[in-house]
Formats: sequence, structure tokens, C-alpha cells
Amino acid sequence: MNCASRLLCLSVLTLLPALGSATEPLPTGAPAPDFALNNLAGKSVSLGDYKGQIVLMNFWGSYCGPCRKEFPILDQISHQYHGKGVTLVGINVEHDSAAAVDWLKETPVSFPILLDVDSKVSKLYRVEGMPNTVILDRKGNVRYVHRSYHAGVENEYIDQIRALMRE
Amino acid sequence: MRGWAGMALVLAGMASVSACSPIEPWVKPYEREHLADPIMSFNPDPVSSTYLDHVFESREGSRGATGGVGGGCGCN
Repeated sequence: MNCASRLLCLSVLTLLPALGSATEPLPTGAPAPDFALNNLAGKSVSLGDYKGQIVLMNFWGSYCGPCRKEFPILDQISHQYHGKGVTLVGINVEHDSAAAVDWLKETPVSFPILLDVDSKVSKLYRVEGMPNTVILDRKGNVRYVHRSYHAGVENEYIDQIRALMRE
Repeated sequence: MRGWAGMALVLAGMASVSACSPIEPWVKPYEREHLADPIMSFNPDPVSSTYLDHVFESREGSRGATGGVGGGCGCN
């Protein structure tokens, strides 16, 4: 085995652990994993209930500054596209929902909030940054994933929702 | 002999680089609600911390390694 091929072999073997990562976002175009969570009223809601609609899922926590900043904007988007086949769903990732419920009393929103108390859905959707937004099309496939929020991202949400509405 | 010495050097270099892969397990952003609590902040009162750091520096006769601002919101 000559020098160059030995070098190649060694570099591949050594750097191989760095290549595998469980933190890759969900593949675009693949069906979104189904789940069932309780809403604020304690009733079980599953993702399949929203099939046929464009769904914007937002993973948030009341301890997270950008999530809190984004929420009123999401509420505006929800009002704007209400009844046009677009649903927003807020998934709270806190283990203790009391803080989230208190915060929602001060900042009420019009879209449903689901409680992911044991982080099952957060792991399923490979949540890496927060707030994490996943936009699904009418067939239930993942189309867009946003792994953070900064000012101006809401315009991207609107553009993407409109693109999906035109399909 | 020379070939093996070079190979060993390259292997050592690559082994040191492989530590750049993401550390697992790492705290996920949705597990940070307790870390983001204000009581868990390293520097609750920046003014008094600055003063106390200055007292420490003058008494120690050296400075540094006191940690700076930062911490963030526990989101990313």
C-alpha cells in the first residue's frame, strides 16, 4: 500500500466519528413524524388531525427570550391566515408547564398550544436551536425548518407559507 | 523507518483533530429551563462583581480568568 492511500485510509478512519451527527435537521420532503400531545385543556391532539392544512409548528419555551419575542408575531400570522388552510401549533417543551401557562395568561395567543412534557416530540423532530419552527405542507411532509429566530425571519415564514398555499 | 515515523506523526496529528467532533451527550435546548433560571446566572450583579474582581486583582497582584459577560438565554 503506497503512502498516499495509507494517508487517505487513516484520515477517513480518524475523522469518521466527526461525520456522524444526530443533530441534522429532519429531511425536507419526508413525511413529518406523527405524534399525540395534550393541549392546555388536557385533551389529546395528534398531528394527523391537521392533515390537509399547512402547519407551522413552533417549539418554544417561556424561559427562552427569542421564543417570547417571536410569539406575538406568530399570533399575527395566525390571525392573518386563519381560515385559509394554515394552522399554527405551538409546542411547549418545558418539563413543568406551570411557567408556560402563567406566561400565556399575560401573552395569550389564538393558536393551539401543545405540551411536550417528556421531550418525546422534541427528540423526534431533532430540535437543536430554539425557537425551532417546522413548516409542513398539506400532505404532511416537512418542507422548511428554521433553527433559530432573529428579527426578519417572520417574513421568511410568510413567504414560505404563501409558496405552500400556491401549490 | 522514515516512512513509519512520518505515518506516526500524521496519525498523532489527526487524532488530535478528531476531538473537534460534537461532544455527546450535550444538553439540548429544550432541557435548559432550569439552567436559564435567573438564580443560575454566574454573575447576578455585574456592578458588584466588577468591584469585587478589582479588589481580588489588587490583592492577588494578578488579573484574569474571572470570566466575562455572556451566558445567553439557554436557547442555542
